[in-house]
Order: sequence, then structure tokens, then C-alpha cells
Amino acid sequence: MRTLVLGLGNPLLSDDGVGLCVARELRCRLAGRPDVTVDEDYWGGLRLMERMIGYDRGIVVDAIRTGAEPGTIHRLHADDLPTRHTASAHDASLSTALSFGRSVGAALPHPEDVLIIGVEAADVSTFGERCTARVRAAIPRAVDSVLKALDREGGRR
Amino acid sequence: MTRRISIDPITRLEGHGKIDIFLDDRGDVANAFLQVPELRGFERFCVGRPAEEMPNLTARICGVCPEAHHIASTKALDALFQVDPPPTAKKLRELLYSIFYATDHTTHFYALGGPDFVVGPDAPAAERNILGVVQKVGTEIGLRVIKMRRDGHELIKMMGGRPVHPNWGLPGGVSRGITEEQRKEIERLGREAIEFARFTLKLFDDVVLGNRDYVELIKSDAFVHRTYNMGTVDDNDHVNFYDGAIRVVGPDGAEHARYHARDYRDYVAEHVEPWSYLKFPFLKKVGWKGLVDGEDSGVYKATPLSRLNVAEGMATPLAQKEYERMFDTLGGKPVHHTLATHWARLVELLYAAERWVELARDSEITGDDYRVLPEETPVEGVGCVEAPRGTLTHHYWTDERGILTRVNLIVGTTNNYAPINMSVARAARHLIKAGEVVREGLLNRIEMAFRAYDPCMACATHNLPGGMPMEVRIRSADGTIVERITRGLG
Repeated sequence: MRTLVLGLGNPLLSDDGVGLCVARELRCRLAGRPDVTVDEDYWGGLRLMERMIGYDRGIVVDAIRTGAEPGTIHRLHADDLPTRHTASAHDASLSTALSFGRSVGAALPHPEDVLIIGVEAADVSTFGERCTARVRAAIPRAVDSVLKALDREGGRR
Repeated sequence: MTRRISIDPITRLEGHGKIDIFLDDRGDVANAFLQVPELRGFERFCVGRPAEEMPNLTARICGVCPEAHHIASTKALDALFQVDPPPTAKKLRELLYSIFYATDHTTHFYALGGPDFVVGPDAPAAERNILGVVQKVGTEIGLRVIKMRRDGHELIKMMGGRPVHPNWGLPGGVSRGITEEQRKEIERLGREAIEFARFTLKLFDDVVLGNRDYVELIKSDAFVHRTYNMGTVDDNDHVNFYDGAIRVVGPDGAEHARYHARDYRDYVAEHVEPWSYLKFPFLKKVGWKGLVDGEDSGVYKATPLSRLNVAEGMATPLAQKEYERMFDTLGGKPVHHTLATHWARLVELLYAAERWVELARDSEITGDDYRVLPEETPVEGVGCVEAPRGTLTHHYWTDERGILTRVNLIVGTTNNYAPINMSVARAARHLIKAGEVVREGLLNRIEMAFRAYDPCMACATHNLPGGMPMEVRIRSADGTIVERITRGLG
């Protein structure tokens, strides 16, 4: 089972970059897993869908704003509440993009195999290269969430 | 009684954009303002950093057009360090930029602008998206769109040397060239891009121009603004995205100004309104007269349509034919129908693809001489390109070590901030008269009005057509909500 783990975000907008921080940490932790690709991107929608072509499973890590406590980890699917980049893309929501891709026959993961780990952000509109304290503190938990998801769902097949 | 209508495109993600429509005493639309979330502190963030970081930093300001910022910033560094890149470097930059343009314009037509026409402006919101387009015109087209986008992204990655943002532009050139093998691949995919662009124009012909209702919609008064237009032209007055002179023509098409990007402050000034942090650029020599069109108002547009309006033609043969056909069909230059911007964008798509192949076939493109080293002491530099959404200007000041002391950017969409507000007001005016609100289609038409500009100010405006939750509130003078129109609020 080939899995793509993708951190999304803007590294210059404070907590918006949390997905990238998680991906960097995961890249070290998953270096010995040839079945897992860890990467970073800044764009959801069509581009995110296109990145997932050829994979059996996609795990996306992104900042989210729901009003919960900063640092809260949310486990979501594409049709759920949008995260910062799965919906705020220029072109289409991830859900629509995946439907579009599947409708034209692109080799995409099944809907239940696209998991989104959302990290509740506090500040996504101030230019800065560091996450705020509580969001920074949540990075290890977000990393664990991805590792757990890999184990759990990876053992299914 | 003054009433105010607010349209809130609510996203759960961030501070949301908001459209306020103000009615006059008779209940007609007086003005409309699109407000967008503010990103704070960019200038402060940049000051104190080495200027060479700017191509990579500014590329991340926004995920939508990183390549445009990267190239504009690189050109600003050329000016700052007073170096003239060798021909190979300039051609490589323009090649990468043409590939980016073809990819970006493709996305806009199929995912954003196109659905309004292909699926229909009054189709249910849930269908007005790229999925709806494919259901209407066939899955084959969907695959071609994905291929076109992937080819573009792959080639940019190959040339730029990094998977996400290019890490490539340097003062005096670029960090790497291309091999003959890479050149062949670029040319091969460029030829496919030309075919894709021609196919897309044919689709536009069949679906949009073949439908009398759409042609009337494009030509309707609801979407017309007689303003000045701005764009970049080469020595032959042809459209150029990478370099040239900035040309401005009046509402009648006559040349108002032609200048080098470094002199932009002699021609463009910025007006500030208390209700928005965004500035309104206007033509200095004409003056700010408010959100109005006409010869006496300094409001200008900088869009794909503007670029075609200010130019005398396209530099490539197939795009030139399409350019002529567009102006013949719409009654000659300049065209002021905002919705024709979608057509202009497709003419530019074809030009970008043709230019891509031209440059890939250039004998200097695989040359080794792609950088000269700067030797002068930096002071100040301006760099400018045509971003897909309008003329993009980067202006940097540094100390003698090249550390930034000040930064000013006028991004593509900012040029169009005044006309966007005017277009929203115009669309609303046709549906709100004497206090009577035509609820049906109000939100769609307003969305279409600003979507033509493909505004890139806030993610709220970037959602798929019909996908943006909206709320219209009509308030009486005492603040009571007397009417509410919503969409997508669950």
C-alpha cells in the first residue's frame, strides 16, 4: 500500500505553516518506510488531488480554524469541515477535486483512505516563520496522529 | 432612509471577505465595497533581510501565483544590483513564466470562470464547478485538463529545481540552465499545450459564443466599465508577460502613457479609503474621482482583457488570429465588457503555449551563460511582470550591504480593486431597484462580476463558483434586518 503524507501550509504565516512542521518531523521518523512518501505543498484543491494520483492512501496535515482550543488535533475526511488549504484553494475544494478526479478515471485513493489531520491554529494572518506556542506544542501530537493512522490503516490489507 | 446590504462570503477558515452594498434614499444601489481579510506585517517581516531572499519569500505570499512573484522579484534584484542578465537567462525566465501562464489560465477557465458559462450562470451552485463542466462536456476534457496542469507543474519543477516553489531566480540570471534532453521534452509538451489551447478556444466558441444568451450577457450593460487599461507591451506593441514597457490607454483606446516600470510612481498613485486597508491605485495624471469610470476618472484595469486592449496585437501567429477574431466579434478595441476577460484569458493561453514552444526552440535556450555576477553596490530596484491577474510591481530599497530597508509591492489584483468594486455595484444595480431586491440570481451575478477579475486577495474569493457560502443582509436605517438572502450556510 503506497501512502502519501502531505503537509500543507504557508511557512510565512505563523500557524498556517504547522502542516509543514509536522511533515518535516515525519520525514525523519518515516525515513525507513519505502511505502510512505512524505512531502510538502502549499495548495489544496486540484493540485492536492493531482498529487494523490497513483497512491492508495493520502494523509494530509493542515492548519484549521474551528474555534476550538489552539493546538487541538482534528481527524477529518475530505467531505468534512474544510481545513485551511483543503478548501481555500484557488480552484476547488478537495472534496470536489477528488470527485472530479475520480469521475475522469484518475487513480485516486478511496474516499475512506483520504485522511486529514487538522491542527487548530491561533494566528494565520501575521507574517512570521514560527507557530504560536500552543500550536508548536501540538506538533508532536499531530505527528503521533499520523503515525497511528499509518499503523492502524496500514495493517488492514 | 439609507439601507445597507451585507454579503458575507463566510468561510470557516479565516477572516472572511465581505461585500457591503449601500442603498441611497430611493432604495437604489449607491455603492458596493468588497472587503477582504488583512495579512499583517509583510513589510516589517522583510526589512532587515538580505534582498536575495525576496524571490523565495515573496513567492510564498500567496499560493496562487508564486511564479509571478518569483520572476518579478528576480527582476527587481537585477535592477537593485544593476546587472543585465545574459540572453539565455532572460529566455529561460520567460520560458518558465510562459509555462506557468498556460497552466494558470487553464485552471481559471475550467475550474473558476468556465463553470458559469459551460454549466450556466443560473445552474444550481452545487453543479457550477469543474465537476459540472466535465459532466456537461465529457470526461475526456477532464483528463486533458489534469494532464495540462501536471505537465506545467512538472516542467516548472524540473527547471526551478525544487518541488514546491522555484528556487531559481538570482540577480543577474538564474541558478541553472537546461540540457538538450530537457529542452526536447519542454518543446514536446509545449506543442501539446498549443493543441490544448486551441481545443479550449473551440470549446469556448461552441459553448459560449454559440449561445446567444451568453453573448448577450457578455455584452450586457451590467458588466461594462469604460475605464483606462494597463498592460505590458514589447517593442512592437505586442502583449508580453515577462518584460517591456507599461502602456496605458484611455477609455477610447488612445495612448495615455508609456513608461518603464522603474518610473511607476510618476504614473500611479494610491488612494486610501477609511473602510479598507487595501489601497486603490489610480492614474496620477488623471486623478482620483471615486469609484467611477470614464475619461476623467483615474481608475484603470489591469487584466487579460486590458493587456489585449493596450496592445496592437499578439507576437505569435495563432494567438494573433484569435485576437483579431475577438475584437471583430465584440465590435473593435477597446472592449469594456468585463466578462470578455474570460475570452481574452484564452487568447493569452494560446499565446503562452506558442511562446513556450518558440522559446524551447530558441538556439540560445540551452546555453551555459545564464548568469552574470553583480558587482555594484545595491541601492534601490524595481521589477515588474504581467501577473495573470494584472501588472505586478516589486520595489526594494536596501543599505549598501543589500539588507532591505523598505519594500513596496503592487500586486496584480490591487490594480483592479476599484473596478472590482464598481463591477459588483453595477451587477447589484441591475437586481436591486427602488428597494426591490431580485433575490433570484443576485448572489450568482455578483459572484460572476468579481470572478472575471479572478481576484487574488483572499481565499474567500477563491472558492469554486457557487461554493462560497454567502449571506446578504438588508438593513433599514435603524439597523433592523428586513431581509436576508443566504446560500450554503447549512
